[in-house]
Amino acid sequence: MSDFLLQNINLILPIFLLILGYTAGSIAERRHYRSIERREQEFLALPAVTLRDVESSEEVSGQLVIGNVVISIDYFKRALAILRNIFGGRVASYESLVDRARREAILRMKEEAAKAGAHIVVNMRIETSSIGQSANRKKQIGSVEAIAYGTALIKQV
Amino acid sequence: MKFRPKQANGDVNVPKTHPLVEMAWLAGGLALIIASIYLFLTFLTGWIVAVLPVEAEVWIGKKILQNDPGMPCEPLQKRLNDLVDYLPQDSPLRKYQFSVRVVDSNLVNAVALPGGTIVVFSKLLKEINSENELSMILAHELGHYAHRDHLKRLGKGLIFGAASWFIFRDSSQPLLMPFVVVMDARYSQAQEEKADLWGLELLNKRYGHVGGAVDFFQRLLEKKDVGKLTHFLASHPHPKKRIEKLVSTARNKGYPIGKTEPIGEDIKEFLEKCCSKPLPKSED
Repeated sequence: MSDFLLQNINLILPIFLLILGYTAGSIAERRHYRSIERREQEFLALPAVTLRDVESSEEVSGQLVIGNVVISIDYFKRALAILRNIFGGRVASYESLVDRARREAILRMKEEAAKAGAHIVVNMRIETSSIGQSANRKKQIGSVEAIAYGTALIKQV
Repeated sequence: MKFRPKQANGDVNVPKTHPLVEMAWLAGGLALIIASIYLFLTFLTGWIVAVLPVEAEVWIGKKILQNDPGMPCEPLQKRLNDLVDYLPQDSPLRKYQFSVRVVDSNLVNAVALPGGTIVVFSKLLKEINSENELSMILAHELGHYAHRDHLKRLGKGLIFGAASWFIFRDSSQPLLMPFVVVMDARYSQAQEEKADLWGLELLNKRYGHVGGAVDFFQRLLEKKDVGKLTHFLASHPHPKKRIEKLVSTARNKGYPIGKTEPIGEDIKEFLEKCCSKPLPKSED
């Protein structure tokens, strides 16, 4: 058996990594989504909007709040994306990563805003950073990064 | 109007298809495409090889092998020439200038190189007990020339490598490997079996019987407990399968099984003189 494994390591290693990537990746994704949904519900009363000019009858002060996140792809998602690159079409395996990264970044930004005692975040922007530009390239680690920032408005008392 | 925060449905950005379903579709599609390309190339190289004259093959062989590997072996050459003498006068194999060379190695194997050079590894030579076994091995290699397997392998390797590079810009694409490894192993095993049967026929012509044809595989089987699984992806069929096929063919064709001749002193002398230095241990 060990002979067979050694002789066909080129065949077995990718299969092993695919299974590992799928199992670990799915578990991580499911847990992450559960956490995202719970926290989104928690911060429902603290809206983050993209409006720049907000009129307020009360006196408020602004504070920059930032949330950022980096999520790595797994071997399975990468393999799926490579196959997708051959045939074309939606790279669905990366879409959930983008979704998670965006929502997580906003949540972290909201967390910071909540700590500062804000009641709303205005002029929110979302950007991506570029550590993972090398995603999909051989022997490079791919990841999705999102940075959400905005102005937290805090009522003055 | 009072602002009421509401949880938005985040599902729009999450794909609905299950990743495993997508993987099955994409991998299945790719496997189908590769299988078609593989079959097409097999057919194409088969056709090219069939029309390629022996002279061209010898020329290719010389281009590939700048230097002949190993050392010449007079006793083996004599036995190979004896075998070639038993080929029909119109056999295309008569156009070759066959030469046998011995490479001092722990591999129990022999290889047919393009152009007519047969390489026998010294460990294989040491394992052989009788003249008949030796002739069977040489006849098996001649069988590869008769079917031009070495050329098909070479041609397909070249074309497939080029095609893979063209599609993926990388000839060692890991995603491609599993398909090719499995298909190549199946193809190679089929070639080996055909070469075995061709060799058996020549052995019968040479000695008037096929005694000793399976002795070598029998010992290989007894010596090592080789699993069926290990052999699914190997280049050669499982020894047990080879023995069964050879025995049933000999029975069907009515080949008699005679007494084997012990291996000649000249081979032993050659081994002692040229391949007596100890070799590093290996799995084989």
